[in-house]
Amino acid sequence: MKHLWDYLVNDRMPVREWSPDALQLRQYAEVSGDFNPIFLDDAYARAAGLEGVISQGMLTMTQVGAMLTDWLGDEGTLMSFEARFEKMVRAGERIVCSGYIKERCAGALICDLAAVNADGEKVLSGTAVVTINNSCRR
Amino acid sequence: MIGKDVIGWESKPVLIRIESGAVRRFTEAAGISFNNRVPPTFVGAFMADNIGGIDLMRYEALHGEQKFTYYQPVKIGDCITYTCRIKDVSEGLGKLGRMFRVVIETTGCNPMREDVYKINSTIIFIERRPEDETSLGLSG
Repeated sequence: MKHLWDYLVNDRMPVREWSPDALQLRQYAEVSGDFNPIFLDDAYARAAGLEGVISQGMLTMTQVGAMLTDWLGDEGTLMSFEARFEKMVRAGERIVCSGYIKERCAGALICDLAAVNADGEKVLSGTAVVTINNSCRR
Repeated sequence: MIGKDVIGWESKPVLIRIESGAVRRFTEAAGISFNNRVPPTFVGAFMADNIGGIDLMRYEALHGEQKFTYYQPVKIGDCITYTCRIKDVSEGLGKLGRMFRVVIETTGCNPMREDVYKINSTIIFIERRPEDETSLGLSG
């Protein structure tokens, strides 16, 4: 098994695939407290010129966050995590979250992050800074 | 409009406890695994109700950017006091109409008043056109 310490510049972390549905958008609205109707009401979203309800940006970011924490396990600590929401994600779209090591400095890794739809369009771009826990350094 | 006069507006501090049940519900809703850890975006759900008195009926709000900085791990059982502050407002005109970019900084502190995390959220407020109250005008 590849450990966090073994990751070098340009190495990629395991991807995470995700496809939101209308039920998940509603459940996420309930836990996040954001009841904007473009996430919940298909007719409202269509009246706005969209093809249907769209995902909360923070739900997309949460998927990228899950990719990061699954990868880090007990070996690393997330110090910062930022995202730019580039494009709307529609319910039913297939999204692939990915990331690679952009820079490595001693026990810190700077990771470039992305979430891409089936057309190859970037819906999220981001950066994370992680430190490798002392007990996992060699 | 949202003027620069709201820059510096600060919410009242809000005390929360990171409850295991709330974290579990968050992970179930997002479809991610629950392993007794707090997902990195969990604290992003905590924000003041009434940011700078901005009238949300007049705007559509979209999330532009989000940055979390963690100074200490956030754990289940932690007590956090968070405060939101408007850091910046800028105005622009896009194809969706007049819009305001509002940067909100949320700071979470532990009971020792040490910073645990900071969040910078950039929210785009798009002014609804009076003749178009029923539409978001997002098709452009």
